[in-house]
Amino acid sequence: MELRERYEEELALVRGLPAWMGMLAALAALVLFPLFTPRYLVYIATLMAIHTLIALGLNLLTGYTGQISLGHAGFVAIGAYTAGILMARAGVPFPLALLASGFSAAFFGFLLGLPVLRLTGPYLTIATLGFGIAVHQGLTNWEALSGGRMGLFVPKPAVGPWVLTSEASLYYLTIGIAGLLTWIAYNLVRSHIGRAFVAIRESDVAAEVMGVNLTVYKTLAFALSAFYAGIAGALQGHLLGYLEPQMFTLFESIYYFSMIVVGGLGTIPGSILGAILMTVLPQVLSGLREWLPVVYGSIIILIMLVEPWGLYGRWIRIKWWLKTWPL
Amino acid sequence: MGRFLWRVLALAVAGVMLAGPTLTGAQERGITPTEVVLGSSMPLSGPAAYWGAVGKGIDAYVKYVNDQGGIHGRKLRFVLRDDSYLPPRAVANVRELVERAGVFAIVGLIGTANAFAVRDYIVQNRVIWITPTADSSIWAGFRQKRYLFVTYPSYVHEGAILTRYAAEKLGVKNVAVFYQNDLYGQKGLLGVKRAVAALKGAVKLVSAVPYELVVTDLSSHALKLRESGADAVILYATPRHGALIVREMAKIGYRPRLLASFTLTDPIMFTLAGEAWDDVYLTAFFPLPGTDPKVDETLQILFRYDPTLRANPFNSVAGVAFLEPFLEGLRRAGRDLTTDRFISAMETIRNWDGQVIRGVTFGPDRRQGINRIYIVRAEKGRYTKLTDWIEYPVEF
Amino acid sequence: MAALALQYALNGLATGSLYVLVALGIVILYRTSRILNFAHGDVATFGTFVAFTLITRLGVAPPLAYLVTLGVTGFLGAGFYYFILRRAKEATLLGQIVITLGFALVLNGIVVVLWGADTKVFPSLLSETKVYHLGTIVISQLSLGSLLVGFLLMALLYVLVQSTKVGLAMRAVSQNPLAAQTLGIPTRRVLALSWGVASALGVSAGILLAPVTLLDPFMMLDPFLKGFAAAVLGGMDSPPGAVVGGLALGVVESLFGGFVSVAFKATLAFAIIVLVLTIRPEGLFGREYKKRV
Repeated sequence: MELRERYEEELALVRGLPAWMGMLAALAALVLFPLFTPRYLVYIATLMAIHTLIALGLNLLTGYTGQISLGHAGFVAIGAYTAGILMARAGVPFPLALLASGFSAAFFGFLLGLPVLRLTGPYLTIATLGFGIAVHQGLTNWEALSGGRMGLFVPKPAVGPWVLTSEASLYYLTIGIAGLLTWIAYNLVRSHIGRAFVAIRESDVAAEVMGVNLTVYKTLAFALSAFYAGIAGALQGHLLGYLEPQMFTLFESIYYFSMIVVGGLGTIPGSILGAILMTVLPQVLSGLREWLPVVYGSIIILIMLVEPWGLYGRWIRIKWWLKTWPL
Repeated sequence: MGRFLWRVLALAVAGVMLAGPTLTGAQERGITPTEVVLGSSMPLSGPAAYWGAVGKGIDAYVKYVNDQGGIHGRKLRFVLRDDSYLPPRAVANVRELVERAGVFAIVGLIGTANAFAVRDYIVQNRVIWITPTADSSIWAGFRQKRYLFVTYPSYVHEGAILTRYAAEKLGVKNVAVFYQNDLYGQKGLLGVKRAVAALKGAVKLVSAVPYELVVTDLSSHALKLRESGADAVILYATPRHGALIVREMAKIGYRPRLLASFTLTDPIMFTLAGEAWDDVYLTAFFPLPGTDPKVDETLQILFRYDPTLRANPFNSVAGVAFLEPFLEGLRRAGRDLTTDRFISAMETIRNWDGQVIRGVTFGPDRRQGINRIYIVRAEKGRYTKLTDWIEYPVEF
Repeated sequence: MAALALQYALNGLATGSLYVLVALGIVILYRTSRILNFAHGDVATFGTFVAFTLITRLGVAPPLAYLVTLGVTGFLGAGFYYFILRRAKEATLLGQIVITLGFALVLNGIVVVLWGADTKVFPSLLSETKVYHLGTIVISQLSLGSLLVGFLLMALLYVLVQSTKVGLAMRAVSQNPLAAQTLGIPTRRVLALSWGVASALGVSAGILLAPVTLLDPFMMLDPFLKGFAAAVLGGMDSPPGAVVGGLALGVVESLFGGFVSVAFKATLAFAIIVLVLTIRPEGLFGREYKKRV
């Protein structure tokens, strides 16, 4: 065990030279990646980063706070359409539209959080699922707002004078935001907010007795989670350049949900691993044609059977094994 | 970080930047002396898997063309991938098809959402794009159409033609529309509305009832249509929902005149809807199976190469209708194939008849290959042609 | 107007009775094993396709084919529990849900691979076009038949759970699995049996539904979601709740679609549920548990 002498050391997220080297190597790899690889891989990597954002947000809600959501595609849609409408119709600059998409999704998260405060398990599942369906039907039928099924073309984002048209520039933008929000998530979960979330997950009654305000923290979890989804939605809109309600169905919500469970509930690396795996898998398998769901489903079952804690759980076990290796 | 590391990093970045732009090859993408590569991404799994038969039909026909010796000594290779009807996956598939498989052309892509999500990418990368299966009117006014060739009808004009026919030939006074709540149905409805406005009171639109793709209980939809008092109902639906609604209407004793989009000329309708699919007026953009020897022959070829297509004859033969102009373009471009030569060759196609598709015309400023349909009547498991070709304006 | 409303209500009742069959299956599973089974709809679809093959391709007499299908699907559900889900001992509840999601994907994929994605006509003993008139109200022979068979199945289930030894064991396991095991009840077999019964209920909904909605790999998606919603509305651990929830959902949905808006039918269903749940978080008939900390 290393000895920690100062409070700052206790606070550090990355400790020791090997960890720093690994961290920097990972960062360098992320920065250099688009320079060496074909553009379609850059696109897929960007998609992964977007899914990572959604998974991080969903994990804050489901993994940390224990509130299941099968309507997350609704929040992603709200974010995507907020940014899309603001930029395409009102000419709002991109950074503002991005923030607005996060906050509008967060607002809807807060709104959804209120009526479902007392719900758990299947009751909460159905309520959130209904929210996702309501958003989808709203976007389909309110054509004046969303463009309906005709869809909405989203202009390319511009930061100041730079218009981000190339795959690589969108990649850097997305990776940058994903990195920042990952860092925020790390700090969030070890703050008093994160501890309150975990307390609610373990037992909401006990948490309340200990002075955790359930109303505040549950709606906060919904809002935070929706904020991440909203930002991801805005970025996805820019990546595809086009929005249509069919991009945000129940299937997507279920897909996001399986990402965090397969990756590892209640862990941040788990969210990232899950998002990466679940994005790559269908892509690699898409040549299988109609066999895709059979193989994809089998792999999901297999992962859950072999490693009930998800991919991150396996990583932890490998680390334990390495620590005690010569014994 | 140490100074050494910074130097390594800087060197690496510099090296990559120098190496980066030299990757472009001299050869045309997707063309080798022995091969032309084409690709597509279609829903082969998921709720829209039914439409995947378009891709399978293309696959079977490509095999047939290869067995006939290919075109100008080149065999065709068709790379088909599944996107489950999800736009992000369709985009990833198309990018991978272009950048890794190196396709010369993309054939198809199903649905407006998928088509629009890859549109800019395809234009920027100068990929030949043959007939995305979405309402052709979405391309009206689209300027960067150099690489796009479409032989798909316009639902807007189709809806208008059906309405006009109902009013003028069938004496219909009140019309209702039952439509799928996506672009397919909404464009059809738009056409009906336009025709109703143009006919100035001769016919009224009394009700428009939408449905969602996943919904299977259409009893309240049928009641709503009956309550509107329409004497004709125009259908913009999948074969399944088209069959369900006519059965449901028959059940409650409501028997209006039925008119429907060409997507319902699928012979499966006679099985699914039974006797309710009698005396229905539909449009067609190529001669329907059972009415034309060449089309029937093509169907037999498809069945020989892929027996599973028997379950889905209409979509698979439609796949051939979309592919054929591309094959003709290859033939006309000659042995010395490049993208530009191919486009010039396509632009020489005038009123050309294929095995399935007829009367295709492209030109230097024209990418809408067909602009005509005709009306048929479904009766006791057969289709009879009622009108000659009805033309509508060329829009792009 | 009143006659029309009655017609809408009757249509809703017919649809609702099928929601009930799906909801009952979900409730049985939730009561006994606390698992939300997302493969419930796909198990039913798979079974319905098996029945289709038996009847149209192999020429088995329909009543026999139905029985065989109930058996096959029951074994499929029980087998899934016994050989796959039970192995995931360490899995959390959410992990188990994801396993059922994976199973749903696999089953749906197999259906598309084996039978194709095209729509098929499912033969039925009853006619859909033959209708009975009650004044101005119309009901087809098929709908009436489904309604009756649906109620018969509910009654049978009631007898099974309330007045047989197996039913007693099922109730015991659902109340306290550990205590049940200590008392010598073979918990695993009882659980597998519950999965079998639930799956058989699901496929009977599928068989009743397929002649009306046509056979399609995704035909159970909407009924499954609605059945799930009905189960929640009624209270996840209450079979009478599932019956009331399913019928109420069917009727309200049909009336809303008829008189207000067809486009927002699905949204309404869920809005009602959220509304009910804000007042009664355990559903209409669910028991409120006092949690111990």
